[in-house]
Amino acid sequence: MALSFRDRVEIWSLRENKPVWCMEVKTSDNTGPSLAFPLVPGGYIASRSPFYRPLSPQLLAISLALGTQHAVLLSASGVVYTWGCGSHGQLGHGDLSPEEEPRALEALMGLQMSSVAAGGWHSVCISAGGDLYVWGWNESGQVGLPSRSLRGGQLKTQCAGSASTCKDQENSDEVFISIQAFPALVDVTELCEVSKVSCGSRHTAAVTSSGDLYTWGWGEYGQLGQGNMSSSDEPKQVRFFKDQGLRVLDVVCGPWNTFVSAVKEDPPHPEDLSSALTI
Amino acid sequence: MLIHFYWLDPTVLFFPQHLPMAGLWSAIFAALPVTEADFPLDFSEKIEPSLVEVLKQCRQQLYSGRCQWMQDAQIILDFSWEKLNTGTWRDVDKEWRCVYSYGCLFKVASLCREDASAVKVQEAIRTCDMGLLMGASIMDNVLQRIIRILQNKVWKSHYKEDPNEGVSPKKLKVDCDPVIKQALAVPRIRCPSLERFKNDYLDTQKPVILEGIIDHWPAFKNHPWSLEYLQTVAGCRTVPVEVGSRYTDENWSQTLLTINEFIDQYIVKNTTDLGYLAQHQLFDQIPELRDDILIPDYCCLGDGDEDDITINAWFGPGGTVSPLHHDPQLNFLAQVVGRKYIRLYSPEDTDKLYPHQSQLLNNTSQVEVESPDIEKFPEFVNAPYLECVLQPGDVLFIPVKHWHYVRSLELSFSVSFWWS
Repeated sequence: MALSFRDRVEIWSLRENKPVWCMEVKTSDNTGPSLAFPLVPGGYIASRSPFYRPLSPQLLAISLALGTQHAVLLSASGVVYTWGCGSHGQLGHGDLSPEEEPRALEALMGLQMSSVAAGGWHSVCISAGGDLYVWGWNESGQVGLPSRSLRGGQLKTQCAGSASTCKDQENSDEVFISIQAFPALVDVTELCEVSKVSCGSRHTAAVTSSGDLYTWGWGEYGQLGQGNMSSSDEPKQVRFFKDQGLRVLDVVCGPWNTFVSAVKEDPPHPEDLSSALTI
Repeated sequence: MLIHFYWLDPTVLFFPQHLPMAGLWSAIFAALPVTEADFPLDFSEKIEPSLVEVLKQCRQQLYSGRCQWMQDAQIILDFSWEKLNTGTWRDVDKEWRCVYSYGCLFKVASLCREDASAVKVQEAIRTCDMGLLMGASIMDNVLQRIIRILQNKVWKSHYKEDPNEGVSPKKLKVDCDPVIKQALAVPRIRCPSLERFKNDYLDTQKPVILEGIIDHWPAFKNHPWSLEYLQTVAGCRTVPVEVGSRYTDENWSQTLLTINEFIDQYIVKNTTDLGYLAQHQLFDQIPELRDDILIPDYCCLGDGDEDDITINAWFGPGGTVSPLHHDPQLNFLAQVVGRKYIRLYSPEDTDKLYPHQSQLLNNTSQVEVESPDIEKFPEFVNAPYLECVLQPGDVLFIPVKHWHYVRSLELSFSVSFWWS
C-alpha cells in the first residue's frame, strides 16, 4: 500500500491483515503537486525497473492510466489519447482495431478533459465542466449503459457515429450495449459535476463535487459498496457515506475492490448562525 | 440409441437405473482421483500463487467431506475468466484455460454435493460445457466424463415425463430457390477415385461437388439427423450461437444457449431474428455426434494426421448467410440436412471482390453477393463465379483461399472439414 502525502510517500505492507510500517520516501520539497503513484500488484510502487518510452514532443502528457492491455493519456491541452489493444472498444476510436501509437480521440475534440482513468477493458475521462465520458466493454454495465447480462435481451455493438446518451429503460425492445466503441456521455447525477473517477477491472467509481460516491459495473464481490453482491449498469449513489455524515474526497479502485477517502462533514458552526442573525 | 451410449459408458454401467441424489455425488466423486494426493494441481509461476492457494483450498474441502467451496470455485472462475478475455484467444496461455477448467470442476462438484435438483443438474451440465468450450482438458478430460454422468440423470427425468411432441421447424416463407445457370454450375462427380480427385481437382485447385461419398455416414443411415434426434442426444448441451443476419453487421453478436433453447428460439419459433450455430467444433464437445460422421477418405491426400483436421458444425434455419470470404485451408463442406445456395469466386479475381481493409475482416468481401451495390463496387459484376445448390449427401470441395458465399434455403446442417 502506498500513501502519497504532500512531502513524502509512505509504504505499508499488510501482514496478517494488519498494516505494518515499511518505509518512507521523502519527495524533494513541499512545493508542487504530490506525486501520483499507481496501484500495482505486489503492493510495491514498482516491482521492476521503469520502462521508458519517449512520446512525441507535441504531446505534453500530464496523466496516464493503464488498463489490462491499453493505455489512456491526457495531455496538458486536455486532449485524450489512447493506444494498445482495442478488441473491446476500450480505445474509443469507433472500431475494434488495435493502435500502436497514441491516437487522439476525435469524438472528444473540441472538449477539454481534465482527468482520465482506465479499467480492465474500459476507459473514462472527466471534462473540464465535470461531465463523465465512458467507453469500452460493458459486459457488467461498467460503461453505465444497459447491459444484457443484467437485464436480458439482444446485444449490440455501438461503433462509429458520435457520442450519445442512452436513458430509455421502459421499452421491452430496448437495445443493450455490449461494447461501446466510442465515448458515451454518462449521466452520473443531474445535480452536480463529477470531480474524481477510478476504474476497477469491471467496475467504475465516481466522486461528485458535492462529496457523493457513485458506483456501477460488476458488483459480485461487493466492490460497488451497496451492501450486496449485485452488479449495476447505471450509476448508483453509495448512501453509506451520506448516512454516516461523510464527505467523499477521492476514490481509487483495485481490480475487484474500491478504496475511498472521506472526511466527517462538520455540522454548521454556532458562530455562523449568530453572524447570520446579526446580518 | 440411448441404450447404445448407456452400454458404452463404463462409468454408468455400475449404477442403478434410478440415481438417487446421493448416487449422483458418488458417481461424480468416483470420476475424480481416489485421494487428494492423486489430484494434481501443479502450475508454473505464471499462475498467481494466491490463486493456487485457492485451488488447493477447494481440493482440500472436496476430499475432507465438507460442503462449502462454491465461493472459492467462483473466485477461480472469475479470475481465470478475466485472463481468458485478455488479448486474442490464440494468445491465451493454455495454463489459464486449465485453471478455468479446474474452476468448472470444483463448481460442478459443489452443485452436486447435496440436494441436486433438476435445475442444479442443468447448471452443472452448463458449467461442464463452459469448461469444455473455454477451458482446456484436465485430468484426462474429466469434464467430458462428468457430463456423461449428468446427462444420464437428465435423460432419466425426461423419460418419466410426457414424450416429446414432434418438433418441426416453423413454416416460413421458403427462400425462393435460385435457378443455377448450367454454364456457371460447379461440376459434379460421383465417387471419384483418390487419383482422379487429386489430378483433376486437388492439384489444379478446382472446386467440385463429390456425390455419394458420405451416404454411409451414420448421420444418414443408422440415426438420420433430425431436430428430435439432436434434442435427445444433446438438447441440454450449451453451444455458442451467432445472432444477427451476418457477421459483418453491426447488430451481430454471439451468445450461449442450450441446443434445446437454440431450436426453440431460432428454428421452431416464428422469429425474424436469425440464429446460427456456426463454425463450432461441436464434435469435440459432443462425442455422440462425432460418431455419426466420418472424415472423408480424400483427406489422406493431405499432410498431417486426422488430429490436424478441424471439423466444424453449421446448423441453423433457412436464411442464414455466411458473407463472401475465404479460408486458409482446404475445405470439404458436407451437407447433411437441408439445402444451401453457394457461390464461389477464384482467388485470381480478388481485385474485383473488395475485401475489407481491417485486419479483422481482411478475408471477407465488402460486397453483398446477392444484392451488390454496383455504384460502390463496380467491378464486382465482372468477376466470374461458379454456383450450386448443395443437397443432402453432397460434399463441396473448396480449394485454398477460394472465396465462398453461403445461404441456407431451409433448415440446414452442414459439417466442414478444414485440412491441408
